[in-house]
Amino acid sequence: MTEETLEGWAPEIGRGITLEEVIDRAFDYRGNVTVVKTDGTELEGYLFNRERDAAEPFVQMFDRAGDGPYDIRYADIAGVRFTGRDTAAGTSYAAWLRAKESKKPASGA
Amino acid sequence: MSVPLSQMWAVASYVLKQRLRGTTRYPLVLMLEPLFRCNLACAGCGKIQYPAQILKKHLSVEQCMAAVDECGAPMVSIPGGEPLMYPEIGRLVTELVARKKYVYLCTNALLLKEKLEAGLFEPSKYLSFSVHMDGLREEHDEAVCRDGVFTEAVEGIREALRRGFRVTTNTTLFDGANPLRMREFFDAMMDLGVEGMMISPGYSYSKAPDQEHFLRRQRAHELFRSMLANPKRRWKFNQSPLFLQFLMGKQDFECTPWGNPTYNMFGWQRPCYLLQEGYARTFRELIETTKWENYGRRSGNDKCRDCMVHCGYEPTAVNHTFSSWRGFRDTVVATVTGRN
Repeated sequence: MTEETLEGWAPEIGRGITLEEVIDRAFDYRGNVTVVKTDGTELEGYLFNRERDAAEPFVQMFDRAGDGPYDIRYADIAGVRFTGRDTAAGTSYAAWLRAKESKKPASGA
Repeated sequence: MSVPLSQMWAVASYVLKQRLRGTTRYPLVLMLEPLFRCNLACAGCGKIQYPAQILKKHLSVEQCMAAVDECGAPMVSIPGGEPLMYPEIGRLVTELVARKKYVYLCTNALLLKEKLEAGLFEPSKYLSFSVHMDGLREEHDEAVCRDGVFTEAVEGIREALRRGFRVTTNTTLFDGANPLRMREFFDAMMDLGVEGMMISPGYSYSKAPDQEHFLRRQRAHELFRSMLANPKRRWKFNQSPLFLQFLMGKQDFECTPWGNPTYNMFGWQRPCYLLQEGYARTFRELIETTKWENYGRRSGNDKCRDCMVHCGYEPTAVNHTFSSWRGFRDTVVATVTGRN
């Protein structure tokens, strides 16, 4: 299992990565992100959907309080920061097995 | 044969009605996820890795019932999360039973005894507790990453059976499963008195902690052939016999990703219960706008290549039963003789 995570990533759109690509990564990310809008406002929350093929592509989010969903058009997004904890990272099966093994009493001592 | 005749009839008449209407894409089982919160964190599960505000949220009963009505499937499976942690689970089940939906409440059973004692549920032919059991004590506790869960689940099953409820088990198998131990497990579940068992290979969720132990297709066929060869007459499986034949490599099916559509707080999940590639606002939108040709083994999609999970292939098996005399005959023969 890979332990790679995007937690803390704040990509600069246009520097080797497009807005669409960053939104795809945010959609796949299991933590909160902060969407920075073109008007300077920000919304932090869980980005659970993106419709790339819609006439006007948009994302959908629940904010940090769980309110929503809020729809934000791609055209209104300036950037995305991966600000929340990656809930899918760092809880590997191998770690659980190690912990289980360590709980067993030592034999042959 | 472990599925009650009334349920078989309800499903058969529904499928035939769809076929007579010329509906090509219709659902069989609605996977209704009212919440993602769970009291376990199993290594093979990719369903519960969400931020706190999402884990605290849940659907209302009204949202659930609107989805049930819109979808129209004759069976509703309630996975999650752990559905017994859903604060309105009693009312939800009551509403579903009132609509004559066959409900499979998928639970780890840790709260089952407590909820039964609280009088949340009434026995009904429409309600079955589908208890997650991944093997005998050692294997199950390892799969759910907590010691003692098997024993508690068995207590929950006993209590439900004592009170006259239908109880089935659902088992996910991973690489390394021991066929002989699984045969012992089947015996143990039948000894407990469950109505039937459901088995399926696990799916390699990209968000699941354990990525190393998912079964690849050929190994899955070998495992299921070893496990189900010379099946005992007393073993009852609460699933299509043709699906079991598929698991053993005796049937070559393609996935039916719309067969078990999933609804949760994000909407209608595209394309299936296992993959999360987006959400539609309505069931109709899901059916009409999902690019179905991109999914299933023949599509060449890597994510579908090794998948043999029941939510995609059991609907295919059921459709096969009603789409040809051969399919119908195969099903009848397997059901009557108990041979897979």
